[in-house]
Amino acid sequence: MIKKRKIIIFFATFLSCVCFSFKSFSQKTQIRGFMDLSTSLEDNKVSFGFGEQDLFITSELSDRFSFLGESVFKFTPSTPTTFSVSIERVIVKYNFAGNHNLLIGKHHTPINYWNDTYHHGRVFFPTIFRPLMFEYDIIPLHTTGVSLQGQNLGEAKFGYDLMIGNGLGSQDVLDNDKRKSVTAAVHIKPAEGLRIGFSWYNDVMSAGSKTHEGKLINWDVRQNLFSPSIAYFGDKVEVLAESTIGTNHTDTTGTKQTFTGYIYAGYKIKERIVPYVRFDRLHFQEGEILFDKNNTTSIVGGIRYNINYLTVVKLEYQYEQTELEGDTNKLTFQIAIGF
Amino acid sequence: MTGHRPPGFIVCRKYLPVLLLLAIGLITKAQEIQLTVIGNVTGVPSEMKSSELISVLKGEKQRWSDGTKVNIYIMKTTTPVGQNTCKKIYNWSGDKVKRYWLELSFSGKADAPTFCNTIEELEFNVSQNPGAIGIVNRSSASAGVKTILIDGKNPF
Repeated sequence: MIKKRKIIIFFATFLSCVCFSFKSFSQKTQIRGFMDLSTSLEDNKVSFGFGEQDLFITSELSDRFSFLGESVFKFTPSTPTTFSVSIERVIVKYNFAGNHNLLIGKHHTPINYWNDTYHHGRVFFPTIFRPLMFEYDIIPLHTTGVSLQGQNLGEAKFGYDLMIGNGLGSQDVLDNDKRKSVTAAVHIKPAEGLRIGFSWYNDVMSAGSKTHEGKLINWDVRQNLFSPSIAYFGDKVEVLAESTIGTNHTDTTGTKQTFTGYIYAGYKIKERIVPYVRFDRLHFQEGEILFDKNNTTSIVGGIRYNINYLTVVKLEYQYEQTELEGDTNKLTFQIAIGF
Repeated sequence: MTGHRPPGFIVCRKYLPVLLLLAIGLITKAQEIQLTVIGNVTGVPSEMKSSELISVLKGEKQRWSDGTKVNIYIMKTTTPVGQNTCKKIYNWSGDKVKRYWLELSFSGKADAPTFCNTIEELEFNVSQNPGAIGIVNRSSASAGVKTILIDGKNPF
């Protein structure tokens, strides 16, 4: 009875807080979009194409509550119309004190700088394509769950994210098992343009569940991902280096390690023109069970021209050497816009 | 023919580029506008350090010390006051300021400021929203608005 009363008091307090925060507030909603068009030359063949069309909505619901939604329309050859819509982010944020927030919904897993900062907004990407760790689904891009977040705390501008969510093999609306994924990330911004971070991700993928690419997993796989990251975007020089060291453990295969990392460097020769390079490496240990073992190296060189803050063109050459498919060379031109 | 021109003319022609540069410099200097920081009477402190102001205007502070939400109002970057705000406070171009805010709001880390068309619109918004802070080029006499001293100075 006492427990019940406590629960009622808790909800009454929570509701009154919510009502109070909605008092005399004018809602501010912004709708934005992003998309990109490209032309590529590969195997002596020129192709034209376009990327995802991203619809991005933010809304301040009250003094303390806000909403962020991101939906993507994209080419999906497996569907009858060859296109699909996916919900990439749906977040309700509650600012409970100072720079501390409680977030609930589908998030970009705050595992590293790239995933936390760019994701679907191609106009922000320093290069045309994402690093290999994204293309090969080494890191969990999204997590549906709840998180605590703090930003710009103290002199070092310390930040943290602690997230619990549906784990590997689960859906956006339903977890496939009782275990939850845990992400813990910290960072500091000790100087203008500099961010240094580290994250840890832990989950167990249950036997019988499927990976993001539909591969059936027959054993419980315990995964740990450790991801250090350093980003510097100064007036002239840009450097972004991130890696993930992953361990996948099963009772039959033991622990197998995967390493993935990239380093990007750009130099502004003029305010709007940035030549850049990026080196990517993916390395899997023999006997890896969760990821498809395909050791890969990629070198990218390109030039970026910021026409304005909403229009960016890039010309990029990519050489990729993979264990399974051999070498590929590709030249791509892209125009990415925001609207 | 040059030999028949008076010496003053030759001197003028010799130093013409320097004079032109000086004139351009003076014009540029004349375009620099003194900025004034204004705030709503609720939440916003009456005095701030310039480093604190920059931090606030970069979205690094979500709430004032009394718990009021920080709301930022700046002039559109195409206006003279907006251009001076970008240059003097952010030390960036207008395009870079807009890109910075777009990236920040896209990552869900902060709410973008409201970019105003006129000083009157900005002052009105600041007067109506507790915790609102804005940059203008004059002291405001609007009710509900106060002037904020930056490093003990106003304007700065």
